[in-house]
Amino acid sequence: MASNPMQQFSVHKIGPEIKIAGIDLSFTNASLFMVLSASIILLFLSLGTKEKKIVPTKIQLIAEMFYTFVAKMISDTAGSKAKPYFPFIFSLFMFVLFCNMVGMLPYSFTVTSHIIVTLIMALFIFISVTVIGFVKHGFKYLSIFVPSGVPSVLLPLITVIEIISYLSRPISLSVRLFANMMAGHTMLKVFGGFVISLGLLGGWLPLGFSVALTGLEILVAFLQAYVFAILTCIYLNDALNLHH
Amino acid sequence: MNRYFGFTLALLAIQNDLFAAEAGMPQLDPKYWASQAFWLILVFSILYISLAKFYLPKIKNNLDNRENKIKDDLEDANKFKELSETKIKEYEKIIEEAKKQVIKIHIESKNRLDKDIQTKKESIEKEIEKEIINAQKEISDLKKNSISDIQKISENIASNIIETISGDKLNESSLKAVIEDMSKKNLGKYL
Repeated sequence: MASNPMQQFSVHKIGPEIKIAGIDLSFTNASLFMVLSASIILLFLSLGTKEKKIVPTKIQLIAEMFYTFVAKMISDTAGSKAKPYFPFIFSLFMFVLFCNMVGMLPYSFTVTSHIIVTLIMALFIFISVTVIGFVKHGFKYLSIFVPSGVPSVLLPLITVIEIISYLSRPISLSVRLFANMMAGHTMLKVFGGFVISLGLLGGWLPLGFSVALTGLEILVAFLQAYVFAILTCIYLNDALNLHH
Repeated sequence: MNRYFGFTLALLAIQNDLFAAEAGMPQLDPKYWASQAFWLILVFSILYISLAKFYLPKIKNNLDNRENKIKDDLEDANKFKELSETKIKEYEKIIEEAKKQVIKIHIESKNRLDKDIQTKKESIEKEIEKEIINAQKEISDLKKNSISDIQKISENIASNIIETISGDKLNESSLKAVIEDMSKKNLGKYL
């Protein structure tokens, strides 16, 4: 094989080594692409809010569409109580989406294809949601582990399952995003490698696959950002509106 | 998506050298985990703060402005609609009154004309009656005069005839009496 398909995920240091209290916090290519994605979001939104027209300009319209899209997503899944968390979910959605999309550019780095990045986000969401749940409902929040309408014989089993499923939320949330991004990019790289190794004669088929996969990956990039955000909304909904 | 993941893992498993120390899954190499976590938290915090404090309120403001503007415009439109409806009602009222007035004027003028015609008719009729009376008087005068004239003419004619036939002059008074007698008998038939 021409090149290692996992090469694209390797992190390397850019610039001087930064060590704080013995921990290596150097600026890396991953950090660079985080900064880049955030900068693109900020640039896009500053262009989108530059003009305040009643009849919006194109970029203003797109910025407002993102806003209403996320606002609708939150109000549909978590209701009006989730309004204070709108900026966080909006930032989360935009960050994941733009990291995914920037990662689709050739020779770029996909920030969200690293388990540590997605895990930190997922853990932050998990801990925040749990804290919000306990702050809003006190110990009654524990009742989400005890669903209503379950026969009392099954109740201990169901409760154990509920607790496990609750605790596995950060893992499922982070692994879903990380695995999707990594798998997609690896596939693209593998097919790209096939194009080179099969040459002019046989390379056309994997090239076609590459093109199709690129389209699919753009869809996945959007979809995973959406799934990440909407699952956050659903977890938040559990904490805000105790249904059981 | 999980299929791709599985496929990738299978591919990786076949390629043994990929699991060499420097070539495995770079994601699982903890060397830069702290760095990534640090930069993620830093970048995301900056992003979150600038979005929450700066850009999102701007967008929200703009959206609210638009909504308010649309609401205001709709309210204005409703107000104008109501205004135009009241105006239409007023207009209809005016037209109705005008129609009533027209009918009133029509009836009044008709009555006045009728009266006028009546009076004129009456006066003309009176005049005609007068004329008729005059004419009748004239006719009766004429009748009276004509009777004496006829008697006179008859006397003359009779005396002339008798004179030419007999050659004698007759007694005028007897002739007159005879003619008078005859004319009384016959003139009534003709006059």
